[in-house]
Amino acid sequence: MQAQQSRYRRGDWTVGTAGSGARSWEEDSASCMGRRRRRVDRADAGGALPEAIAALSRTLPAGPSPEIFRRAKFDLPEAAPALWRLLFCLLSQLRTNGASVSLVPEAQARWVKSALRSQGYPRRGLAQLPEDGSRGSRELLLALSWLLARGPLLELLLAQTHVWLGDEMLVCECKTLASPSLPAARVEAEGCVDIRRLQWLMGKLRFRWRKLMASQQEQCSLLGKIHSYTRGCHSDHRLGHLSVTETELLRDPEAGRQLLRRLQSENARLEAALEWRCRELVFWQWMDTVLGACPPESSWPAFLPRIPERGADELELVAGELQALQEELRAAAEARRAAWVSRVGGLGPEWSATQQATQEAVGQELTALRQAWERGGGRAQPHGPHRLVPSSRAGSGGALGAAEQALRRHACGLSTAAAGPRPTSRGGRARPGRGPGGPPWCCRPRTGATCA
Amino acid sequence: MSIVTLQLGQCGNQIGFEVFDALFSDSHCPQRLCSKRENEAYQASCKERFFSEEENGVPIARAVLVDMEPKVINQTLLKAAQSGRWKYGQHSGFCQKQGSGNNWAYGYSVHGPRHEEPILNLIQKEAEKCDSLSGFFIIMSMAGGTGSGLGAFVTQNLQDQYSSSLKMNQIIWPYGTGEVIVQNYNSILTLSHLYRSSDALLVHENDAVHKICAKLMNIKHISFSDINQVLAHQLGSVFQPTYSAEGSFHYRRNPLGDLMENLVPHPEFKMLGVRNIPQMSENSLAYSTFTWAGLLKHLRQMLISNAKMEEGIDWQVRPPLSGLPTLGKTSLNKELHFNTSIANLLILRGKDVHSADLGGFKDPALYTSWLAPDNAFNVWKTQRAFSKYEKSAALVSNSQFLVKPLDVIVGKAWNMFASKAYIHQYTKFGIEEEDFLDSFTLLEQVVASYRNL
Repeated sequence: MQAQQSRYRRGDWTVGTAGSGARSWEEDSASCMGRRRRRVDRADAGGALPEAIAALSRTLPAGPSPEIFRRAKFDLPEAAPALWRLLFCLLSQLRTNGASVSLVPEAQARWVKSALRSQGYPRRGLAQLPEDGSRGSRELLLALSWLLARGPLLELLLAQTHVWLGDEMLVCECKTLASPSLPAARVEAEGCVDIRRLQWLMGKLRFRWRKLMASQQEQCSLLGKIHSYTRGCHSDHRLGHLSVTETELLRDPEAGRQLLRRLQSENARLEAALEWRCRELVFWQWMDTVLGACPPESSWPAFLPRIPERGADELELVAGELQALQEELRAAAEARRAAWVSRVGGLGPEWSATQQATQEAVGQELTALRQAWERGGGRAQPHGPHRLVPSSRAGSGGALGAAEQALRRHACGLSTAAAGPRPTSRGGRARPGRGPGGPPWCCRPRTGATCA
Repeated sequence: MSIVTLQLGQCGNQIGFEVFDALFSDSHCPQRLCSKRENEAYQASCKERFFSEEENGVPIARAVLVDMEPKVINQTLLKAAQSGRWKYGQHSGFCQKQGSGNNWAYGYSVHGPRHEEPILNLIQKEAEKCDSLSGFFIIMSMAGGTGSGLGAFVTQNLQDQYSSSLKMNQIIWPYGTGEVIVQNYNSILTLSHLYRSSDALLVHENDAVHKICAKLMNIKHISFSDINQVLAHQLGSVFQPTYSAEGSFHYRRNPLGDLMENLVPHPEFKMLGVRNIPQMSENSLAYSTFTWAGLLKHLRQMLISNAKMEEGIDWQVRPPLSGLPTLGKTSLNKELHFNTSIANLLILRGKDVHSADLGGFKDPALYTSWLAPDNAFNVWKTQRAFSKYEKSAALVSNSQFLVKPLDVIVGKAWNMFASKAYIHQYTKFGIEEEDFLDSFTLLEQVVASYRNL
């Protein structure tokens, strides 16, 4: 059944024919498949699309039924709330790494709009949708598939809800890019605030920070204890000891059952994701027709975020100040360098020889450090969590251990050389003595031992 | 998380012994009023916090004992070992052959630096035995010689070495009619130094505890050991395990940290006082029953009228009417002798603890204007009874309760200082007049800040 003569091309957002009334899955998918794969059996084509969408739904958290998707194509209003919820769920999980926040549906819709805008969603129609969920399901469906097509959305979501069996630690030090955070309850300041209250709150923050550090230390030492107590218990000899989850499994059968349930549900999602990957072509072809069914966008160019006038001026001001500061710094550095050179230049040839020797020595130390680091494969550390495994006591911790030790030796040497002689005498007024500064994890000033 | 206790001087060592004894006795008390499993969790929590394990099963107190004379330390070590239930570590004590003659400056400038290394080594060894260190609890007197001067020095050192650990100093406020002439000098020097280097100062007044012994416990001849036992009972009711959150049954991991976060985050307001109810002799205990409503009503009035025990409370003192501007409130409070609080921590232990009505403590009139009861009032609970009391409540508060006593001491010290009496004893060992002036300034500031709540 040859339906529309839409001359739709992928990537062309302005062309489309008007959509028609609600159709069944069979008619719909047959119409979109008909032009491309005429040899496909009609009945089969009718079933593949709902199955693909069902697989997608099972992979997503809070995934709606395929029926919702179908209604969304025809912009039926009853599909809108489910799609708003789904978009909120997806976007907030990506931002806050799984933390859930309860907001009223209007607030959710507002937040979804701002999050999509910040990601660069090009269609203006989304911003114009009402936030009460009364209509706009087709636009939401387009937004969803835009998110899906853009990047590894499913993989990211699945990674977040992954069930970890080992004791993991994050190695990555990348700073996450700033993004609109979830709206928190706003507390309006009532007139002027007593400064004592601010000092109180600052002090509370400081105490929480110290408590957090103590807790982390506790966690580390307890982890170490568990790992050392369960040495030799793991069937995998490379790991050699149990993690906290695995120990809990052995101690408490109920915990074991819960873990099994979580693993089973994760497996189900992963299987659904695999199925989706096999079948997704059908979905994308169908989405072509959804896009075709939209009325063309009224004007081009694409929707740009509005930068308020005031903000642009301030930005220029700040940029100007930054440049001025850089110039100042450059001038100051030049002056310093010139003064030093003039002072040093008069000291004679042997000084310049010493200087050159020092520079060479420093250069050699740096290259040695760099080589040690590269040998240890330090730079090649991928991002993301790594399972903690204690290194063996014998000290043969492999290349990384050797590189670490070499680094420490170098750093120790450099810091003691830089610190200079220790203060030996105490004056008349008793003041507690202070040891030399330096990285706290390196030499301990009290015992004066060098690190091995 | 573990707390390492530092017992300094005669006073600190005697009190420290009673504290550990009270904690141990309570955690092994037969009348628990809770399930066996919960009791075991309580015991384990208390043990981890204050005691470390030894091979033959006798717990060792996490403590370091320091004194310049050997007598008190040896007595303390012996008493603990003889009890057979718990003991101090064999090498946890540090003492010298002679005392410091109640000379604060000698303790601070001579004993301190001279014995800094061995003392801090002992502390480090004790800290390393902990899986995780929550902080230090330093017991010392304020007006003595060794305990005070050395204590101030050691606390300063701890701040440098363990800057991220918490420090609470338990200080004993001397009798108003004390025997030591220079006790006011010692007091202001100790207080000002501790204010700079400690996180919280938990103050017990000798006069108040003495009265509790006389009136409530009905002890005829009050000895130091009686006083110390009352003190230890109060401290135990604060530091024994409590639930970590409303509705949780797990015990709090870091009581020292939680207490400090709730009560002393402001650097100008660090003085804490403890009141608890009921407090009575064992004989009377058998014949008494309590309700939470009655206990809390009395405790609230004790707080408001700055009473230290549940007898002889002035019920005339009432919170001022709210709606008055702040300035008016301050002067009115002064007339009414009303004790304004900055923050309060209420600790409830015993039967039906979840049914206690706490509305009286959430009244904004009790608190200063710049902190609402949401932030200012906190409560910790556990169903497990404390030390044979079916229901007991303790209140740790940061309030104006010490303004008058502190003002009195500063005044007396200033009068002596104005005539330069006995100053040479201090300047001889490096404490100059400027140090005195700094101390006066700081304490005047503290008094003023508390007055202006």
